[in-house]
Amino acid sequence: MTVPAGFGLRPLAPELVLLGAAVAALFVHLFAGRKGRRAAGCVALAGIAGAAAALALTPASAGALFGGHLAVDAFALYFKAAVLLAGALTLVLAFRFFDVEGGEPAEAYVLALLSMVGMSAAVSSVDLVTTYVAFELFAIPSYVLAGIFKKERRSAEAGIKYFFLGTLSSAIMLLGLALVYGLTGSTSYAEIGPALAGARPWPALAAMGLVLAGLFFKAAFVPFHMWAPDVYEGAPTPLAVFLSTAPKAAALAVVVRVLTALFGGWEGAWGPVLQVVAAATMFWGNLAAMTQKSLKRMLAYSAVAQAGYLAIGLAAWGESGRMAVLFYVVAYILMNAGAFGLILLVDRGGRFDESVDGLAGLARRAPVAAAGALVLLLSLTGIPPTAGFMGKYFLFTAAVERGMVPLAAAGALNSVLSLFYYFRIGKAMFLAEAPPAPAGGVDPAAGRVSGLVTAFLALAAAALLLGGVLPDLLSGPAAAAVLGR
Amino acid sequence: MNVLGIPILTFVTFLPAAGMAVLLLLPASRTRALKLAANAFTGLEFLATLLLLARFDAGSGGMQFVERWPWIKAIGAQYLLGLDGISLLLVLLTSLLTFVATLSSWGAVRTRLKEYYVFMLLLETGMIGVFLALDLILFYVFWEVVLVPMYFLIGVWGGERRLYAAIKFFLYTLFGSVAMLVGILVLRGAHRTFDWTAMIAAGGAVPAALQGWIFLLFFLGFAIKVPMFPFHTWLPDAHVEAPTAGSVLLAGVLLKMGSYGFLRFSLPLLPDAARRYAPAMVVLALVSIVYGALVSLMQKDMKKLIAYSSVSHMGFVMLGLFVLTPLAAKGAVLQMVNHGLSTGALFLVVGVVYERRHTRLIADFGGLASRMPVYAAVFLVMALSSIGLPGLNGFIGEFMILMGTFPVSWLWTAVAATGIVLGAGYMLWLYQRVMFGPVVHPANESLKDLTVREFAAFLPLLVLVFWIGVFPKPFLDIIDKPVERIVRIVNPAHYEAPR
Repeated sequence: MTVPAGFGLRPLAPELVLLGAAVAALFVHLFAGRKGRRAAGCVALAGIAGAAAALALTPASAGALFGGHLAVDAFALYFKAAVLLAGALTLVLAFRFFDVEGGEPAEAYVLALLSMVGMSAAVSSVDLVTTYVAFELFAIPSYVLAGIFKKERRSAEAGIKYFFLGTLSSAIMLLGLALVYGLTGSTSYAEIGPALAGARPWPALAAMGLVLAGLFFKAAFVPFHMWAPDVYEGAPTPLAVFLSTAPKAAALAVVVRVLTALFGGWEGAWGPVLQVVAAATMFWGNLAAMTQKSLKRMLAYSAVAQAGYLAIGLAAWGESGRMAVLFYVVAYILMNAGAFGLILLVDRGGRFDESVDGLAGLARRAPVAAAGALVLLLSLTGIPPTAGFMGKYFLFTAAVERGMVPLAAAGALNSVLSLFYYFRIGKAMFLAEAPPAPAGGVDPAAGRVSGLVTAFLALAAAALLLGGVLPDLLSGPAAAAVLGR
Repeated sequence: MNVLGIPILTFVTFLPAAGMAVLLLLPASRTRALKLAANAFTGLEFLATLLLLARFDAGSGGMQFVERWPWIKAIGAQYLLGLDGISLLLVLLTSLLTFVATLSSWGAVRTRLKEYYVFMLLLETGMIGVFLALDLILFYVFWEVVLVPMYFLIGVWGGERRLYAAIKFFLYTLFGSVAMLVGILVLRGAHRTFDWTAMIAAGGAVPAALQGWIFLLFFLGFAIKVPMFPFHTWLPDAHVEAPTAGSVLLAGVLLKMGSYGFLRFSLPLLPDAARRYAPAMVVLALVSIVYGALVSLMQKDMKKLIAYSSVSHMGFVMLGLFVLTPLAAKGAVLQMVNHGLSTGALFLVVGVVYERRHTRLIADFGGLASRMPVYAAVFLVMALSSIGLPGLNGFIGEFMILMGTFPVSWLWTAVAATGIVLGAGYMLWLYQRVMFGPVVHPANESLKDLTVREFAAFLPLLVLVFWIGVFPKPFLDIIDKPVERIVRIVNPAHYEAPR
């Protein structure tokens, strides 16, 4: 079912809108002076809205387009929407962050859009070369994004760290892709799949290992996660939201596509590996998060742990496993963005307090925001009636259906472990009293509560509750988008 | 099914949640309006459950007022509510105790009133939902909804070590819950449905070996909630630190969620495993009875004493369920209600003096009977009810359990009976030390007796304690058919054997 040659660029409309918005934002920034920074951000946000509209109008097409390089199927559209969601949430938080911290770099908006173009292409790509190019297109701007807040040392450190380890992982993946090409003589997924299924085991497994290592790095699966906490913590908070959600979603999409199309014949090999990866990622993320005092670093580890839950769905595979991954990705984006957003709620004289204790007594001063944050925490922990619970439920069911009861049990146990630190946040907000003001110092409880972030938290919480009470709203599209129906 | 043109079970479940929404709209400064609204909604809820009772058909053992809607198509979960006699009694108990607890909070809770009542109402929706849900996922959702408000009730309005107690409660019970969730998933794998009624209809579709695993997973969830020895350690902390109303609901209703889970799910859905593990369960129940009673004897803190007595009494309930005879099982269900009434009332009793003296240590009291005669009478009735004095409710339940146990094993009966003796010991000793003797502490000289409002909170409990004690037949009629139905599934041999 190839689309006729005259079809044109129509299926790429969302990417083109994003690209156009990036260029427009660049020019707005250039000509509008200092005020142009925020204007550039608004252009970028409008671009995302436009891209979302274009996405909604883009029909899913079954076959590969553009000479077999890109597939705009329902699966790709779903992940493109997820990436747009992550981008939009990031930009809103970025407005708040730079309002308070100052030093707003308009480049951030442009780079985020460019990175999203890359992700959007990556989730569509069905060709080795396109995959790699798309990967680099989203990776390189994200290295810059991690280090963009030049006035902070740790941001620069995060950028450098992400850059070196990221390029290393890209190189490893490239080596794997080259091996795949060498084994099969083709760059097209459609041709490689059957050819690889009959290939000799060791070269094929080596290729698979290298490709997956590169992908797992981007998704921050253990043991390729070492960069993640440092980068998420070092990057400015809104960009930490971006880096912990959008690339992870895109990488997962590529993982699913690669496991389906390239290594579909080798499930016996990667299935057990993914089980181990899932369990290790959950345990490592949750155990490490427990000891953190900094809210931001705790959430950074929590983002790693959450990736572990997603890996359960990959390990379980099957239609239900992949549907669960699709469902949980969206829930994860909302939960994670909301949780990081909590850091940006209170402005403490041009700074944000990143410690858990800084939230003490929040429920008294900002009840709506605290209630919203509570829903986020419940969702992250996986307590009903939230989308986080439903997502975990789908993941665990998929595992049990495939006889992986121990893995599901490990996931469930990790929910309990995670409660321990998520509810340190809940405890601070609801149970602890705000500490008294130090003599002569600034009252730690002082500071303006942002209406924007309050609305952000409330909306994220409402969406998660809706997804928990009526999960069909999300699981329907997710099921329709599962590859290989 | 509809009553008066409304889906009555949904109405009963979500009326408190609607009350919560109303309270959220009221400004936090309007304390009197908040109190009135909260009491009005819990009162209305109690009336609504009485309506259920009026329309209930005790002649049928099946589920009544069933409401069934598709809910999550992706996994085939349904919004499925239904009620039989067991659920009905527990729903009535829940709505009554919540009303009483809300009433008793009128003067006791002074800080963060709005949040307090919001959490109380949310808690009530969760508890009612647990007893009505017949879809296992829906059941799990309500089960978890209960955790969060209770965490806050303990954590915000609790005693000195409230933070520790709250998170311990949450972690412990969440651990049990997720184990249960895995069990539900495995069970679904065998049945391809979450529908309790369909599972019952399908009969023994689950292989015995698999039943064993599911039983163990369910056991973790339910036994922690009951709590059974050795999973009881969260209970004393939670009870001691919780505010009075929290303790009332914790002991009165939340513990019943565990025993209800065993009765509703573990026994009829996993009959082979239930029979196989019954002796082990009985042993744990006996240990809980004796251990709980012995530890109660040593307590210096009144609340802690009553908390450990709960372990002992819930041991009786578990014994009644797992000897697998209809008489004992009926006694167990009645005992769930009895324990809710008498222990709930005992926590209120402690709350009354705690509010006046801000201590719960037995040694800080003495001679109160001379200063608070009405209070002394109420306390006495509740203590005797807890002991199981004939003529009061506790006797009926315990006697039925022992009667039902005796044909199975005289030894089990004998061990359980020592629990009653010990129970009389710790409870009467408590009463003696608090109530009799001279007033040694000057602060106790001027203690005021029960106010009208406090007495009003006790009144329905007093009535029921006597009613069940003297004429339990209406209550037993309600639970007769559904309990027989479950025992028949799990222990058909009992009905075949010549008696």
